Amino acid sequence: MLNILILGLGQCGNRILDAINREAFGSGGTFAKYYSRQKFPASVKTIAINTAVNDLKELKNTLAKDRFHVPHLHGVGANRNIGKQVFEENKEMILEEIDKRGSFDLIFVITSTAGGSGSSFAPLLVGELKRTYNAPIICIAVLPFRAEGSIFLQNTAFCLRELVATKSSGILLVDNQYLKKYSGEDIKSAYDKINTTTARRILFLIEALNSEMLMVTDLGDLKTVMSGGIGVGTMGFYEASKGSTIKSTILGSFKPSGLLFPANVYKDGARAMLIIKGDKKYLDLDLVTKTVEELSKEVGQVFKGVLVKKGRPKVLSLFTLNAVPELEKLYTVAAEAIRFEMEKREKSKKQLDNAFAHIEDLEPIY
Amino acid sequence: MKGCRILAAMVLFVLIFSMTAAADSINTTVDVNEGIVLNGDIHLEVLDVGTNWGSYAKLKFYSYKDAGGKTESIYMGDVPTTYTSGTFMKIEVTLDSISYDTAFLMIESTTSLKISDRYGFEGEDETEKEKQKPITVPKLGITRTFDTNRAEQGQTIRTTLTIRNTGNGTATNIVLDEDTITGAYKDGCPSTIDDIAAGETKRISYDLRIVDAQPGTYELSPAILNYESESGATYSSESSSSILEILPEEVRIPELEISIDSVKGIITCGDEFPVTVTITNVGNATTGKVHVKSDLPADVRVVDGDLEPEYESIKPGDSEEYDVSLRAYEQGKHTIEMQVMWGDSEAAASFEFWAEKSGLEQYYLYILAAIPILLLLLWVIKRRREYSY
Ligand SMILES: Nc1nc2c(ncn2[C@@H]2O[C@H](COP(=O)(O)OP(=O)(O)OP(=O)(O)O)[C@@H](O)[C@H]2O)c(=O)[nH]1
Ligand SMILES: [Mg+2]
Repeated sequence: MLNILILGLGQCGNRILDAINREAFGSGGTFAKYYSRQKFPASVKTIAINTAVNDLKELKNTLAKDRFHVPHLHGVGANRNIGKQVFEENKEMILEEIDKRGSFDLIFVITSTAGGSGSSFAPLLVGELKRTYNAPIICIAVLPFRAEGSIFLQNTAFCLRELVATKSSGILLVDNQYLKKYSGEDIKSAYDKINTTTARRILFLIEALNSEMLMVTDLGDLKTVMSGGIGVGTMGFYEASKGSTIKSTILGSFKPSGLLFPANVYKDGARAMLIIKGDKKYLDLDLVTKTVEELSKEVGQVFKGVLVKKGRPKVLSLFTLNAVPELEKLYTVAAEAIRFEMEKREKSKKQLDNAFAHIEDLEPIY
Repeated sequence: MKGCRILAAMVLFVLIFSMTAAADSINTTVDVNEGIVLNGDIHLEVLDVGTNWGSYAKLKFYSYKDAGGKTESIYMGDVPTTYTSGTFMKIEVTLDSISYDTAFLMIESTTSLKISDRYGFEGEDETEKEKQKPITVPKLGITRTFDTNRAEQGQTIRTTLTIRNTGNGTATNIVLDEDTITGAYKDGCPSTIDDIAAGETKRISYDLRIVDAQPGTYELSPAILNYESESGATYSSESSSSILEILPEEVRIPELEISIDSVKGIITCGDEFPVTVTITNVGNATTGKVHVKSDLPADVRVVDGDLEPEYESIKPGDSEEYDVSLRAYEQGKHTIEMQVMWGDSEAAASFEFWAEKSGLEQYYLYILAAIPILLLLLWVIKRRREYSY
């Protein structure tokens, strides 16, 4: 049984964590937590960490004792500098809280790259965890909607750079902008949908890692996959429809439509891991092997695991990329935004200075 | 009686005959209310003369040493009447004949006789004399009584005839002539009755058995007595008629009633409670063997006592009562059916009661049902607290 720690940082990280906790209750609905028991596929510990008490209160399926408030009242207002300061002031307390959960075989750190708290805590915390724990640490980084403003873009740019610099085991990207397609009407339902999808894929991965599989993938394989390319990747998913072959199902998990971040896996994929779950009657192992071999030629190393469980085949793909054109685009936009912001500020300052100049030699007279 | 007289006469005759040799005999006339003194010792007075069944003279004898003497009626043709004085002078008197108020007497004695004196005395007055006359007329009165005037068929009426002789003569050859109701029979009733002396009262009782007399009211004709006086005159008297009512025969059957009761109408499940069963013979005959049967609800048990006793018999008007301790286990209405059987008959009774669970037991189910709800609630509260931040 694997011991897994999942940390949700900032509002975004907290919510995805809460979604994981909810999914662990199964399909019981809102009240499941009152009578049901969480069924994690491994020994999973979760902690929601935030500087905003209200964000923690908003959670529904995370135990109160698993909600950790870092005292800075109502968030850091997207200011990563304040966030870093708050973390430094409180890191002992945070690490102590994590330490209470015992030892871990795998750690997930979920955060938005755009906010203040999560994005500033994440790189620092990963650094601290790396020092304390021997376990691989995978970051789930949620990218903002591009229209959310220059600060979020700027935060994302710096946060991602810092996360890569921590040399964590890998970064899996979840792009709100890309997943906007889920939002039918409002942003709330888009968040819920993104959170649930992300949560399910993480649980799928945990289940695969913790199970006796027909074709084995394990933590070592995961580490290898995550260290491929630039150490940044994402997850894909495909569920077989009636009559579809296992091959088409596997290939489906590589389709951009199933990815959490826009990428051309065939072109940019470095390493991949495929986890196939389904009823034995659907699982033609020869075909699976053949398909994976074919994929390997294009994607590079592809690890596979087959999980025999009731139901139609579902495939989770997890991969790292050699190049991330979308990120480049994002950084360009971010840089523009920062520059624009700087210019605006200088201009404003000049304007203000000019204004002040009018009263330079004057004294107030009463 | 006649034999006795003949014997006495013969003895006297021999006596007289043997003594005639030394004897003296005088004939004298003595008037009524006149007396003579013989040898200065024996007084002989004629009290009365008359004719009744032949001529007689009523004589009174007394003497110096026998002041009481004796009075005797002597009849013509009778054997001599003997009197012995206090000094043992003995005379024999025979009535020769009478006239209107004089008796002709022949007096004999073993010694020589001499009328030493003759005297008159005050006789009883005429009416008294008349009363003294021996009128031997019997007069029977008869009354009939019953111990009851109403009787059922098959019953017996004790009938008593009270016959009183208010006359002065003995009634003889008394014959009872009494009719009775058709279908009734007399038991122990004589048809002839012994002589009843004057003043005597005789009671005759007998049973009148009403065997198959039709029910109804009957007038019983008077009981008639035919009788004779000693002189042979015939008489008759009768009682008044009587009313007798004959009732139809009552059917005699035993009839039992059974009842079952308890002081408690509502009992507690599992608790003992007493019931009393009473069997009463409300009929008018004694029963044969009596069986009691019960039908208890499935959850009712007899804890103490016999709910189905047997009795050899129960007399009319008698009651048999017994107590039994029962216990009911289930909640709700219960009915105990009791049946008493005798001969070919039976009677039944039932008893209803409510059994209730004891305080705690009553709510046992609710409490039991509440526990999981409570636990669930506690669990939910606990969960809520765990998840409320
Ligand atoms: N997918 C997803 N994104 C979210 C969710 N909530 C917020 N975000 C995104 O996260 C970014 C904002 O970061 P937050 O996590 O709210 O900020 P924070 O870490 O709490 O920091 P502060 O609030 O500034 O202290 C925006 O880009 C949001 O679009 C969510 O529930 N799901
Ligand atoms: Mg926040």
